[in-house]
Amino acid sequence: MDTPSVRAHTLRQKYPQKHNHYNFADFFQFNESEGTIADWNGSRNILTSEDFIIGLLEGLEEEVGAASAAVMYSIGVEWGKQDSLFFDQWFEREYKVSPQQANLMFLLETWWWPFTAQGWGRWEIDMADRQQGFMFINLFDSAVARTLGDVGKPVCYLYAGLYAGFFTEMVRKQLSCIEIQCYSMGETYCKFLLGAKERIDAAAFWLNEGATAIDIEKRLRSGEPLS
Amino acid sequence: MLSQLQTLVREVDGRYATDTELLFLQNYLQTARLRFSAYQKIQKAEKDIIRQVKQKLKATNPKLLRRGKVDFSAKWQRDAVSGLRFCAHALLVADEEGLEENFLLWFQSVMRSFKAQKSCDITYKAMQDIVRQYLTPQEAELFCPILAQARLLLGQ
Repeated sequence: MDTPSVRAHTLRQKYPQKHNHYNFADFFQFNESEGTIADWNGSRNILTSEDFIIGLLEGLEEEVGAASAAVMYSIGVEWGKQDSLFFDQWFEREYKVSPQQANLMFLLETWWWPFTAQGWGRWEIDMADRQQGFMFINLFDSAVARTLGDVGKPVCYLYAGLYAGFFTEMVRKQLSCIEIQCYSMGETYCKFLLGAKERIDAAAFWLNEGATAIDIEKRLRSGEPLS
Repeated sequence: MLSQLQTLVREVDGRYATDTELLFLQNYLQTARLRFSAYQKIQKAEKDIIRQVKQKLKATNPKLLRRGKVDFSAKWQRDAVSGLRFCAHALLVADEEGLEENFLLWFQSVMRSFKAQKSCDITYKAMQDIVRQYLTPQEAELFCPILAQARLLLGQ
């Protein structure tokens, strides 16, 4: 997990031109005298255990019941929005080019690399339907789903919020996101759908009715009415 | 070797390492001279190797270094030099694992972003053929599998 900036990474100051800095030893800086961990971009990181994730989710569920999913999603949205602004700064500092001028896929991969280094999992973006106003994100090794195991329902609301928040800020257009397939449902990886609210609401409805991720993909690609 | 050395230091804590645990170090020492000499030859021949790879790439598919009116030759050259240097470094310290973790996985995402898998596939295949001109068969036997690893990850 990371929180806003602590202090600069000394390795980055020494080798600012180094872009392949995502292995554990390079990416993290352990400031022993302060008891803090900074990452390459100067963000403060905290190491947590799987017990912490379980405790967080179960504690929240005990407090607010079914609304815990919405709470996690909202936390993710705020995180994604803030991270988008933070990302703009470090991307431009590192690559000497503004995010608007960069190749889109490269930009997105660069955004996600710190998350991969932090243990949030690897991803794959499917932008084939971008012109139609939606896209899919496949997430491998979700920290949340991997921790909770097979519980028979989607659990990665934090990620869905994170994607919604980040992309909303990036394209300056309100976007929503829903997890339509999850490792915690016995699948091999998690799949998210990102798009306008009405499209995500329709997908949520179809999902409730028992549709699978493949069904939802087919319906969206065939241009099925949303209501 | 470096990754394995780190693991060894971590795991052999307060005891002596077993013969099996030291096997990689013995293997390294047996090939160290070859690795040093190959590394130095690659370093000396870098310009020629890259020039020949470029010629081969252009001969195979001249469109790979051009998209519309944009010429990607300079960018390709920078990436190819960088890839060759990382692979040579992995050869020197016998650390294919580190090469993958520190460079290839990240570079794979960059190459995929720019849809450059095809040119990577040809580049690292050609590199394997061309470096043989500069290395002894024993040196090439150590280096070419590393280039093949790069081709496998970057070329698809």
